[in-house]
Amino acid sequence: MALNLQNSIASRQDLKALILDVRTYATWYGQAAVKARLTNDNLAPLPNLSEAAIGLINTWNQQQPISQASLDALLAELEKYAATAAAITITLAAPAPGSVKQSLLAWCRANIAPNILVDFRFNSTLLGGMVVQYGSHVYDWSFRRQILANRDKFPEILRHV
Amino acid sequence: MTGDTILQIFLFLQVFIIGVLTTLAVHYARAHFKAKQQPLEPAPVQSPTDVEIPATLKAHLLQASQAQFEEAVKNSAAQLQNNLAYTNEQINNLVMKLATDVVSNELTRYKADLDSLEKKAETEMGGIRLAVESHEAELKARLAQEMEAEKQRLLKLIDTKLADAVGSFLTETLQHHVDLGSQSAYLVAMLEEHKADFVKEVADGTQPTK
Repeated sequence: MALNLQNSIASRQDLKALILDVRTYATWYGQAAVKARLTNDNLAPLPNLSEAAIGLINTWNQQQPISQASLDALLAELEKYAATAAAITITLAAPAPGSVKQSLLAWCRANIAPNILVDFRFNSTLLGGMVVQYGSHVYDWSFRRQILANRDKFPEILRHV
Repeated sequence: MTGDTILQIFLFLQVFIIGVLTTLAVHYARAHFKAKQQPLEPAPVQSPTDVEIPATLKAHLLQASQAQFEEAVKNSAAQLQNNLAYTNEQINNLVMKLATDVVSNELTRYKADLDSLEKKAETEMGGIRLAVESHEAELKARLAQEMEAEKQRLLKLIDTKLADAVGSFLTETLQHHVDLGSQSAYLVAMLEEHKADFVKEVADGTQPTK
């Protein structure tokens, strides 16, 4: 069953947090199910989960009813996905604001792969632009590289100013 | 007392002395001529008819009178010469004293004038020095002000030129209509430009597992 991750799960770190939340929910669900079978006492309160985790569980619930087995399957699917999912790393010159992150993530999932993971980093020495790393391939579209590549032009431009 | 005044006094003295000498000369001349003419005048008291003087006596008396007159003239001339010598010496001494006084006074006055002029020159030089120092300070202040203004102008010019140069360089170097503030469009455009490469690599599964 294919996973449909929300755009809030952008990076591997987000995916690990999501897996932790789902695992917490699965543990709570298992304990709550046993307790409901044995006693009439009130169930323990639902643990605090992220909106992404809640959304994923609800989506999963629409595909197959929630049970311990289905939650285990979801966890297995997530672990498998975390191990094999395509991921690229985008390094920007400054910490990426949410809008930029969402814009780049949306583009990657729309054009490269639906559930691709995008790790964002920042390096101020880039000055601008970005460096995209996918596997062993590195695409350097930073301003630094372009400026250094054209540094010989600067004296000429300075003379013409 | 100026030199002209002293000269006038000296001339007056000369005229006075000449007057005195002339008077004396006239006096003695008159006495001489009187003594010479007196025997020729007829004696009002005794007439030749009363007293007959022998010719020898008359000649003797005439010789004695002439000798006496000559002696008197000689004495008067010697006395006059002595008086003249004495007067000359006195005048010389007086002239020397006057000249010394005049020269001394002139020197004193000259020295006083020199001192006055020196003081005046010092005063004027002090004023000139103050004016020069004031002008120098003013020039220095103005120069410093102009230098600072020129420095600021050059700095501003350099800033402007550098900003233009950097802007032109970035525009020419980046070759994209990059908004240096919001780069979302630029980043997406770059991804879009290499979209085929990404899709191919993902399809080939070249992504290493981490």
